[in-house]
Amino acid sequence: MKKSDKLLLAVFLVLIPVTLFIGGKLPGKGYYITGIAVITELCAPFFASFEKSKPQARELAVLAVMCALAVAGRIVIPIPHFKAVFALIMLTGISFGANAGFIVGAAAAFLSNFFYGQGAYMPWQMMAYGAGGMIAGFAFCNFKFPKKPWIMAVFGFFATVFWIGPLLDCSHMFLAMPEISLASLAASLASGFPVNISQGVCTAITMLVFGKPLIEKLDRIKLKYGISEAENGL
Amino acid sequence: MSERSIDNSMKQDAFSKYHPAVNLLFFAGAVCLGALFRHPAYLIAAMCSSLLYFFALNGLKALKTILVLLPTLIFITLINPLLNTRGNTVLFLIFKRPYTLEALIYGAVVACIFFITVIWVNCFGKLFTADRIICLFGNILPNLCLLLAASGRILPKLIENSKQIATARSSIGKGGEKEAIKDKLALRFKILSALTSVSLENSIVTGDSMKARGFAAGKRTSFKPYRMTYCDWLAAGIMTAMLAAVFGVLLGGFAYAEYFPGFGIAEMNGRNIAGVLIYSGYLLIPSALQIKEKIRWSISRYGI
Repeated sequence: MKKSDKLLLAVFLVLIPVTLFIGGKLPGKGYYITGIAVITELCAPFFASFEKSKPQARELAVLAVMCALAVAGRIVIPIPHFKAVFALIMLTGISFGANAGFIVGAAAAFLSNFFYGQGAYMPWQMMAYGAGGMIAGFAFCNFKFPKKPWIMAVFGFFATVFWIGPLLDCSHMFLAMPEISLASLAASLASGFPVNISQGVCTAITMLVFGKPLIEKLDRIKLKYGISEAENGL
Repeated sequence: MSERSIDNSMKQDAFSKYHPAVNLLFFAGAVCLGALFRHPAYLIAAMCSSLLYFFALNGLKALKTILVLLPTLIFITLINPLLNTRGNTVLFLIFKRPYTLEALIYGAVVACIFFITVIWVNCFGKLFTADRIICLFGNILPNLCLLLAASGRILPKLIENSKQIATARSSIGKGGEKEAIKDKLALRFKILSALTSVSLENSIVTGDSMKARGFAAGKRTSFKPYRMTYCDWLAAGIMTAMLAAVFGVLLGGFAYAEYFPGFGIAEMNGRNIAGVLIYSGYLLIPSALQIKEKIRWSISRYGI
């Protein structure tokens, strides 16, 4: 058993249940604090394995560019309500593996909060964006989905609507809803659904138009300068 | 695009002269306590002090943020009774479900907590510039911090580059003055594509340059302009003591506040008065420091 696997098991079997147990006893809106604590614990194994993987300077620089590109998408494509950020994060995950996808997603969420003002939703955004990059990495690197534009577009749509979107909408329940219950979860998810659909469409369009060129560019960089995906894969 | 990372206005804030760890301790305490209290007295104390510091940091610009938040607060207040039908005093029936006074008041409490959290997190974001974050986490997560710092540098450059590409395209007649959204989108994707190629190539140069300067050659240290001084330790000690006192009142159950089925709110006895005073004292620390600084500045300026 690898060390990182042990850490992951320790987090899931010990740390999170203990946090939930203590968090359940807190008065008031203790669940907001508990939520942040659990997200931090979920992110910790990814960050730890990123530190352990000792990325080369070139890899780090490429990941930094992808992260900045995901945030800059909003400025480069100044069309209202058009968000390319999920697609760019997922493409990073597809090209560099699940772990790199998570790191770039989380970093992009942090960076965009940093530039546009910190919001109370930041931990959920980091988790959701990271999870988006991670699931794309799993699907296309570990399970070898074919990297065809239309497959990526369909995948991007469903991943946005049923994975990233709901994870983001959860934050409403923790922050703005009076209690944690199925009813408030349903209300949060329902209120976010139309936005998720529109963002899913944006993701699909970006994947369809920009997916193949970007993958080719990244593959070329990897081939030309010898940045291997195996080192960064989960 | 606001270049917040190179915003120098923070230099004027007195609290930001303390070590980032002290600042982090303060905000962690303020956000935690803000989310945990449901007692009206504590809520009012937290609202007033968070607003005071918010205005001290942002000036009149803060009003805009508050106005933007207001509809959300009203929405949270009004939506709670629809989800939650507990409570004794029924105001009216809606969708055949009771709309109760207790649920409405509790909605207002939740809206207050939401407001306090958002304001504190906003202040936190204003105070925590890139150098402070790297100072705090640079040793624990060196690669992640480097990634963040690097992409924070690349982001403004990317935006500048994208403008250059757009100008270059339009000067050879490919600027796309067409109005249709499809053409606009296609044009923008072309710019994004060119931008990606350029910046990926540049990133390799950056990476090689980093390696040539000894990246990963040994243990990395990070530049820290902050040091824990006597003052910082003192501030941290005082804050911890105050936090312990307030947490004692909270977890001891003295500041209980029940809203269902009827109101059951703790009286303002000695313990709670002391609790509110210590709590407000804690939350007012940054504002007080700033006011002290302002007074000192005006005294030195006018030579009183």
